[in-house]
Amino acid sequence: MTIFLQSLLSGVLIGGAYALIGVGLTIIFGVMRIINFAHGDLVMLGMYASYFLFTLGNVDPFVSIIFVFPLLFLFGAILQKTVINKVLNALPQNQILLTIGIGLILSNTMMLLFTSDYRIISTTYSSGSFRLGEISVSTPLLLSFVITAAVTAVLYWFLLKTDTGQAIRATAQDRDAAQLMGVNVKRMSVLATGIGAGLAAVAGSLISPTYYIFPQVGQPFTLKAFVIVVLGGMGSVMGATVGGVLIGATESLAGAYISSGLKDLVVYVLFLLILLFKPAGLFGKSRV
Amino acid sequence: MKRILSLAAAALLAVPALAVSQVKIGVINSMTGPQAPIGENLTNGIKLAEEDLAAKGVKVQLVWEDDTGKPQVGLSAMDKLATRDNVVGVVGAYTSAVTNAVAKKAEQYKVPLVNPVASKEEITRQGYKYVFRVSATTGDYAAILLDLATTLGKPKSIAILSENTDFGVSGAKSAKEIAEKKGIKVVFEEAYSPGSPDYRSTLVKVKGANPDIMFMVSYVADAITLMRQSRELQLTPMAFLGAGAGFSTDKFASEKNISHGVFSSTQWTPDVNWPGAKAFGERYNKRFGKTPTYHAANAYIAMMIMGEVAAKAGGDREKVAAGLRAGNWDGLFGPVKFADFDGYQNQNKHQMLVEQVQDGKYFTVWPPALQSGKPIWPFPGWK
Repeated sequence: MTIFLQSLLSGVLIGGAYALIGVGLTIIFGVMRIINFAHGDLVMLGMYASYFLFTLGNVDPFVSIIFVFPLLFLFGAILQKTVINKVLNALPQNQILLTIGIGLILSNTMMLLFTSDYRIISTTYSSGSFRLGEISVSTPLLLSFVITAAVTAVLYWFLLKTDTGQAIRATAQDRDAAQLMGVNVKRMSVLATGIGAGLAAVAGSLISPTYYIFPQVGQPFTLKAFVIVVLGGMGSVMGATVGGVLIGATESLAGAYISSGLKDLVVYVLFLLILLFKPAGLFGKSRV
Repeated sequence: MKRILSLAAAALLAVPALAVSQVKIGVINSMTGPQAPIGENLTNGIKLAEEDLAAKGVKVQLVWEDDTGKPQVGLSAMDKLATRDNVVGVVGAYTSAVTNAVAKKAEQYKVPLVNPVASKEEITRQGYKYVFRVSATTGDYAAILLDLATTLGKPKSIAILSENTDFGVSGAKSAKEIAEKKGIKVVFEEAYSPGSPDYRSTLVKVKGANPDIMFMVSYVADAITLMRQSRELQLTPMAFLGAGAGFSTDKFASEKNISHGVFSSTQWTPDVNWPGAKAFGERYNKRFGKTPTYHAANAYIAMMIMGEVAAKAGGDREKVAAGLRAGNWDGLFGPVKFADFDGYQNQNKHQMLVEQVQDGKYFTVWPPALQSGKPIWPFPGWK
């Protein structure tokens, strides 16, 4: 029982960060119908930003998100305006190539600038934990989960209650109709990419105290985010949130009860099963 | 017209003369990709060897190939080096997975391959005639650590945790065999997939098995993640034993609150008692601003041997292979000789070392004849 609870807890906590990455990807996809294969590299940029804020400016990685989010929001917005916008109506394979290319440029630029050295943020709480009965709870993981939950709550409020948020959702639902209703869809695309990039980077910042940072760190996150988004339903923010936590918990439980070497297998089998019975994803609306 | 013809003839004659004074050697290494941080040590070691060879009057022309840590990329690099660049020999690759693939190709093309650090046992157990290995094998990594553990304490049980790569699985297999031979019970064994941010579920199981010693085979970053999460879960065996790679890097040692007291087997340390080891460490540090890992020394020695032999053999692959088989060397890496033993072919029987992190610094603690510090046993507990 201890093993079950321990694994479930750490799985759910780490799943929070996955969810944040997935939500970013799904917002970008929802508004522009472009799968951002550079998403993991945005996570990587967030990690580096936190790393340098921590080592040079002594800013705690969890606090650093207030700088990292606007920074990467700007970066994402500029990226959309200058490059991604150009392929909005291009063939899907061209869009994929473009985002993959952006990802490669980002990771290799970082490697040229900062070498491929692993960087590690060592805070006082990096390997700290406290006990809850039989289970040990990782302090940094719990903190990051709480922040993730707060960020997600703000995001939901923004998307559901504000005019801009509703305009973004309208654009995601039907770009043409939204435009006819007077929504500035171009601006929404820029905003959505900025928010997506910002969220990915915040997730990176939140993972950074317990993980390690190097230029290629992003690629596995891209794949994970993609799985989460497809699982939850392409474009569904709710789906990505649930999907992220689900993947985190599945990974952790599979590691505990089957083998940590096979946990990816379990995740993908689950993924295929869900798609088999619910082809549009958990919260997706099937488009016929 | 006649003059032009004679000029052309002279030019043609001049080409072979040039080729003799300079030997072309291929290098396959993980220069980008997730293994790049350790690959960099190999690159730098080879660069230093290149300088030293030049000082000895051996001019080598190196053809660098990046395998990005992937066997299939390594294979095409080998194809290119053997057929297009026509190198006399190749030094590489870094990881066991890539080397295992590349070695097969080297044998096909009859290109002598000197491998610096890949330690999967099978690589030199397949009857290859052109594959030479400077590196010790995973069996050696496990053997020296368990030697130390059984001499210093009386461990009765062991947990073996490795990553599911060629290096990890081979290391775990050797550790299991040796532990069983020594009468230590294997109470937990698992191969994990590297790069995960969360190993807690695995470590909880280890804790449940309550082993006396814990043996781990991991590359750089996972070593740190594993130790951090072991600390979180307050896992306290008699000793943490790491099989080289991730456990013998400066980065790992500098994480004082998780690295103190951890043992790691290694092939070389800058403070070991071999001639020139200290000087090499200092020179490397001055040049690249970092302390070299054993990979740098392994790569250096592999390139020195390949360069010298290739220069003597004058660009003939068969002669290079014969020279490698016949020669023996001594230096900052201890004695090197490629021999056939225990089912290995052209394998160097290398004296392994054990280092221990004490307050953020590595000390060579085993074998006693080569030690620079006394081992701390058992594990002193988390800071």
